[in-house]
Amino acid sequence: MNDANNRSRSGWGLLWLGLTLVALAVGFDKAMTAPTEATMGNLQRIFYYHLPHVILSFVFPYLNLGASLLYLWWRGSNRSRALAADAFALASAEVTVLYATIGLATGMLWGRAAWGIWWTWDARLTTYLLLWLLYVSYLLLRQFSSTGQTAVISAVLAIFAAVDIPICYMSIRWWRTQHPAPVFGGGADSGIDPGMLPAVWWNMAAWAMWGAFVLGLRYALERRRQRQSADDAMGYLGSAQVLSEAR
Amino acid sequence: MIPFHTLSQRHLVYTYCVVWLLQFGYGAWLAVQWRRARR
Repeated sequence: MNDANNRSRSGWGLLWLGLTLVALAVGFDKAMTAPTEATMGNLQRIFYYHLPHVILSFVFPYLNLGASLLYLWWRGSNRSRALAADAFALASAEVTVLYATIGLATGMLWGRAAWGIWWTWDARLTTYLLLWLLYVSYLLLRQFSSTGQTAVISAVLAIFAAVDIPICYMSIRWWRTQHPAPVFGGGADSGIDPGMLPAVWWNMAAWAMWGAFVLGLRYALERRRQRQSADDAMGYLGSAQVLSEAR
Repeated sequence: MIPFHTLSQRHLVYTYCVVWLLQFGYGAWLAVQWRRARR
């Protein structure tokens, strides 16, 4: 029964991966063939990769927050659900770091070409770097902490880390920054040429689908490791019992 | 036909490299870990 379930899940995963690769290919084509922007020329095409990664790096931390809260809620009452929530929190933090790293790197490349500088300490860039550092800290804590309370401490850290997301998101609305004002929903002057919209939405959808795929795979991997640890612990307990009975 | 002339800016080419390498590198690493983890 378990094998049949695993095969079914793998089948759906491969189907999702196939659809995602098609969406990524279409997004690549749309980004290459979108109208050329008047001021920056072809350089503006970085936008079609920078925007989806930054937007999604604001979404995954909320999944991490939700899973961390569920872990804290269930840890005293339902051990099995708590472990699943903890695995999901870890997976979403790792995907957050991946997307935020690409958001930072593509932003710096764009800044270097458009402004002549790799970095400036303006509100958006600084709060975004802080977001990246917070989730890198989260992963380092998970990797190297040796207390029995690692999951609890990291769940609490996740709650504090999530506070930075709305500040970072609103920074280009609250403060005058080197970073451009919002392209969408930023007032009367915001918006882009309608011919560029397919490139934006295809890449947004495709990278969201890819993010869901790697999140699901990372979650499944962590659940497999949890089961492996539980099996190892049971094996150790069994051996200890046999030894104690032999004495 | 892919319009390669739109890759006229090297920073745009670097962007494509960073995105594809990190994303698919991570995906490949996950696939390897998945196969290594015992059932």
